[in-house]
Parts: sequence; C-alpha cells; structure tokens
Amino acid sequence: MSDPTPEPYVSKIDRRTALAWIGVVGAATAVGAGVVVYGPKTGGERVTRGYGTDPNLTKPEKAPWGRIMIDAQLQTAAILADFILPATATAPSASTLGVPDFIDEWVSAPYPDQIKDRSVIMNGLNALSAHVLKADAAGRTAAMTALQTSKDEATHKFFRRFRSLTVGAYYTTDAGFKDIGYIGNVPRTSDPGPSAEVKAVLDREFAKLGL
Amino acid sequence: MAAALPKFVGPEGPYDVIIVGSGAGGGMSAYELTRRGLKVLMLEAGRNYDPRVESPMFNTNAEAPLRGVGTPDKPFGFYDATVDGGWEVPNEPYTVAPGSEPFIWWRPRMLGGRTNHWGRIALRFGPLDFKPYSRDGLGYDWPITYDEVAPWYDKTEKLIGVSGAAAARNLLNTPDSPPGCLMESAPPRAFEIFYERAFRKMGIPVIPMHGAVVTGQMEGRNTCVFATPCGRGCAIGANFQSTTVLLPPAMATGNLAIRTDALVYQIDMDKAGKAKGVSFVDRKTGEHHSVTAKSVVLAAGSGETARILLNTKTAAFPNGLCNTHGMVGRYLMDSVGTGVTGQFPSMEGLPPTNDDGQGTQHTYIPWWGYEKQKELGFARGYHIEIGGGRHMPSMGMAGLLDKGDTSVGDELRAKLRNRFGSTIGFDGRGEMIPNDDCYCEIDPGAKDKWGIPVLRFHWKWGEHETNQAAHAVKTFLAVIDMLGGKPQGKVETEGHKAISKGGEMIHEIGTARMGHSDKDSVVDQYGRSWAVPNLFIMDGATMVSSPDKNPTLSILALAWRSADNMATLAKQGAI
Repeated sequence: MSDPTPEPYVSKIDRRTALAWIGVVGAATAVGAGVVVYGPKTGGERVTRGYGTDPNLTKPEKAPWGRIMIDAQLQTAAILADFILPATATAPSASTLGVPDFIDEWVSAPYPDQIKDRSVIMNGLNALSAHVLKADAAGRTAAMTALQTSKDEATHKFFRRFRSLTVGAYYTTDAGFKDIGYIGNVPRTSDPGPSAEVKAVLDREFAKLGL
Repeated sequence: MAAALPKFVGPEGPYDVIIVGSGAGGGMSAYELTRRGLKVLMLEAGRNYDPRVESPMFNTNAEAPLRGVGTPDKPFGFYDATVDGGWEVPNEPYTVAPGSEPFIWWRPRMLGGRTNHWGRIALRFGPLDFKPYSRDGLGYDWPITYDEVAPWYDKTEKLIGVSGAAAARNLLNTPDSPPGCLMESAPPRAFEIFYERAFRKMGIPVIPMHGAVVTGQMEGRNTCVFATPCGRGCAIGANFQSTTVLLPPAMATGNLAIRTDALVYQIDMDKAGKAKGVSFVDRKTGEHHSVTAKSVVLAAGSGETARILLNTKTAAFPNGLCNTHGMVGRYLMDSVGTGVTGQFPSMEGLPPTNDDGQGTQHTYIPWWGYEKQKELGFARGYHIEIGGGRHMPSMGMAGLLDKGDTSVGDELRAKLRNRFGSTIGFDGRGEMIPNDDCYCEIDPGAKDKWGIPVLRFHWKWGEHETNQAAHAVKTFLAVIDMLGGKPQGKVETEGHKAISKGGEMIHEIGTARMGHSDKDSVVDQYGRSWAVPNLFIMDGATMVSSPDKNPTLSILALAWRSADNMATLAKQGAI
C-alpha cells in the first residue's frame, strides 16, 4: 500500500546530466534540492542517439539520450511504482531506488522495443496523474487499485507493462538482489554445488513426482 | 571504446603467411605457424580488443543503460563482448534473396572474432559425423575420419582448457576424451539435478558438458571464479578466447604481426596463378592497402571467406577464385535450433543458492536416437542444452509471474521470491543436412560503404530439419510435464514454426568445403585450395557436414591440423 502522504519524488539524476540530455545549457531548470524539471518547451534539440555499437562496458556511461518525462509524469510514476513495490521492514521502496528515473530512461530511449512502450507508458501516466497527484490517500489507492482490475485493454496493458518495468528495474539493483535472494556475482575458488539442504528439498519433490 | 594499441603491432615484413581473421581458425593457425618459425601477418577487420581490461565481469545490470537489455546496438545485451556487430554491422550490409526463408548473419568487428562471446560448448564431432552419407545416404562424407582428427581434438582440448572429464561411457557417436584431456566440471546445480531425473526415467543419458573453461589447475592459466557469464569476456583468461589463449603465445614468438581495422576484400594473384597477397580497406580511414606474403590463409568466417573468394575475379576465375565448379558459397549450413522454457513448482522456494556456475552448462544430453532414426522421421539428431538456476536478475523478472497476475506489494514480492530460479530452458541444437537451396553468392547490386560487393544469402530448411525441431519440442514438453512443470509462453509444435532462422545459431559453416578432388570441393583435407597452391582455408568454411555438436572445437582442431601440414609443406619448400 502506498504511503498515505508521499513526499515529492526527487529525481536521482544530477542537473548537469539533465542539461547534457537536452543539449543546451539553460534548457532545464533546477527546482529545489536536486529536483530537475525538464520538458519539451525548454528549447534545444533533445539528444536522441543510442549508446552505439562499441560502448565502454566496464564503466558504462549514463544513457546518452535526453529524457522526455515531465515532472507530473515522474511524480505519478513514483506513486505507482511505490504502490507496486512499497518499502518493507527490510527492503526499500521502488522510488527510493530511482525506478521512476529508470522508467524515464526507458521510454525516452531511441530503440524499437522502448519506442513501442513509450506511448503505452506515457498515455497511462497522463491518464493516471489526474487521479493521484491531487487526490487524497484514499483516492490515490482507489485509482491504482482500479488499474489492477480494469477491463479496459489499454489500461490493463499500461499497468502490466509499467509493473514489469518496475519489477525489472527494482530487482536488478543490489537491494533487489538482497530481497529476492540472489547471492551470486562473487568470485569463488570452487563451485561446491548445491547444499545438502537444497538437495533434501529436491529429494522430497522427487518423491512427490514419482521420480 | 577506441582501440588502445596501435593498429599495427609486431614485426615488419616480408611475411611468409598472411592470415585473414583472428578468431578460432585464424588464432589457431597463427599459433601453430608462428611456433613453427613462419613469419605471419594477421589481418583483422575489427578493432583491437583486450579482454583483460574490457570485460565487464562483475558489473550489474543496474549499472548499464536500460538495465543491460538487448538493443539493435547490442543485440545480446549491453554486456555481451561483441564489438561493432551483431546481426547488423554498421556500413557492412548483406542481403537475403527474394523468396528465401529468413537468414541472419552474426558478425563482430574485434580482435578474436566470435571466440570472445561464444558459448564455450566444446563438443567433439563423432565418427558418424565424418561419414554421414555412408550412414544414411544423405549429405556428403568428409575426406577424413574421426580417428584422423582425434589426436588434434586431444591437443586442442589440452591447449585451450576444457572441462567435462568423466569415466568413459562409450556412447554412440559421442566421443569420450582420453584421460588427461579434460578437467572436471563443477558439480550439477539444483536445476541440473532436477531435470536429470526425468531424462533418466526416459532412459536418456545426462553427461557432463564439455566447456572451454578452466575449472581446475592448468599451467599458465587462471582457474574460473565461478561467477560471471563467459559471454562478457573473461578478464582472467579462464575461458577460451583467441585473444587470451592463442594470440599472446603467438605474439611471444616474435613472428606475429597484427593489423586491425583491416577489412580484406580480395586475394591478389600473380601471373603464375599463385596468391601474392591480399588487398584490404582500413575501416576507419577508408584507405586501400595491399600486402604481400608467400602464402595466404583465409579464416574470416564462412561467410566472409566465401565473399573474399567470390570477389576475387581473374581471367582464369571469372566467377570468383577457386570457383571453377561453382562450389564456393554452396553447402552453407547452420545448426537446427529450437527451445521451450518451463516453470516448475518443485523448484519454487528453494533455499538461496549460488547457481552462477562455470559459465557453460555443467551437464547436457547428447543425441540418443541414432538407432531409431527411421521411425523418428528425420535423419540426424540434436543434443539438448539446458539453462536454469538463480542467475543475476534481469529485466525479464516479471516473466516469472502468471499471465493474468496483477499482484502488488507483499504478495508480488513473495511470488517473485518464491519463483526466482524456478524456470528451466530446454534448447535443441541439431544437425542440418546440406541442401541446394542454402548458399551465398555476391549480390548483383548491393555494396558496402567502401564499394565492395556484399553477400546475398539463400535459405530453406529441409524436412529432416523441421521434423527434428518438432521432435525436440515434443520431447521438451514431455520432460516439462514429467517434472510437474508448465511451458511458458506460446509454444510452437509445428517444426517449420518452431525452428530457428537460418544463421540464428551462429554456426554458419560449409561455403568452401573440403573433399577428395576439385570436382567435389574447394580445398583438400588440410584446407589447401585445389585451384591456388599457396591459398589455404582454415575456418568453418571447409566443413562438409554440420553435426549437432557446436563447431568451434572442430574449427580449432582442424585449423591446427591444417596449419601443422602447411608449416611442414613450407619447410619443404612445397607451397
């Protein structure tokens, strides 16, 4: 369940990066502590190139393309992402991990799969924003719960896709690894194979399956 | 990332040999020829590449743009080692003929070629694989036998480092490596223990995969750290890449020069009908250059090797070098690919375990139906490569959820946690019989950025292949059912829908095959062209059949055998 009084989402990107995306200094404005507002009417051409066929793999640069989401969309994305994955006693919320910025990176990307998602996500956020940005906690929750059960095809598609992007963005972080129980990506001197505990579980399953 | 080293390293000429390409075939031929004292110039179309400093081994997806998903710039994902390539290479198009079935062509542009990203599956071809026509009257026999190649497999396995040691099983057409060739694989992971039970019940053997990964102590090599995907490249050189295993010792002889960004487009011929060198265009500057040597080895990959031959037109060879009988570009083959993924309740909720493993699968299923081919309705077989486990989460995580699921919050977290690592993917990799509808030629109109005519591909799977794909899907569904699972996504059960695209398995081979004479082939059993005595081919182009076993180990073993013969001929003054 979402926080009844969510703080405004603070973008996890820095202002300099945002300016680089837009291409000209002064095209974006910084509002308050690190909140960057940028939009289509700020002048200059948005950078639309991809990262190319030979990017630096060991120290990846930030995705070079400019971002298209305006603040209302980012704030809506933050509220919905935290409805999908709110904080728990042991795991942070989706917005804490910068998921809204990732959604922005995704829908702004100049590649076919992401372009296909762009209108689905942007239209969905635009439709949702009216119901969550100025609503009270009960109204927000009602609007987002309605997404889960909607029979409207576009709404359903938006929710599924947004949730899928949120889940992917969340669980690819270190905090996501911890939450889901991924304990790899560490060098080892040998691979001992599964523990006796794991093997015991498998043995019980084999018995159930008659194998 | 720009190349860190100068484009031209190593000794200056004159050279005994020019090698075109630096992957499995080029790397291995350079390794042997330089050790034997021949002075070699290697020309690589791509940029210099050094896995020791460029491999993003431990990077997480969160550090990459779009969480590392594949894009047209990096089709196998951001961290895939491939440089400047994939299904499309900038400025270097190819075409597919109208009416053809789809064909796609994977090319990198980097030192070491496809050995940098390959799957490291290192299976030997078996005795039947070298004599398929004799077995069932289809396709063609090789001019060599397994017994003739076996010593080279032994040497190759010991050189590159291959895991998969096991007691001899004597399975039909699935050679056991002699003691001392292989290292032991890491033990089966939970999902490998799990699927083994179903195959065991079906009477189908599950055996250790042969993977080009150093899993034990090996002199001069680092041992695998059992952590990261081999396809990113290996900074410690624990898996096999030409760039870490073959080229450094070749350079150390002092006999190897390497020129990168050199896209070779023709063999230069002298008046006596011998090769005097090659011409190439510098991909970065567009400048054309010609270099000379006493002999030439083509190892540019089956497609590019055929393209160079076909683009070399002389009075004696108006249709392309070595193409007197129209054999160049013919008998193009790939592997048959098909796959089904299942989700298994029995694998849900396992205690957290580290399934990163050794990069390759730890176990696999070799083809088991050699004696039942007639009743099966297809002539050749497939092996099964099986992936699963709790790997580093990716953007596909929501795929773990049921189709209609709309859960959020604690319920969503619990479902994902429970199902993490509970899917297993079954992939068939099978033999293709060469046919008259699969070949490449020079496109009559299309050219690359530098005006060099490009390849046009023709493709059509035969019934043996589509029937095989259908059988594989049926087998996978049976196994998934036996293990209490459910297939994920849409499953195509008809062979022509389930089968991969031509070229998609990245095992394209056979465009300049070896044989007994110039009437049936382009080169002899050692890769020496029948038409030009000092021109050799040492890549997959020379292959006569496309067994289910992935071709790289055989490309390496055959290149070594060919280079050994070539060095002997050179010392005898017989080239």
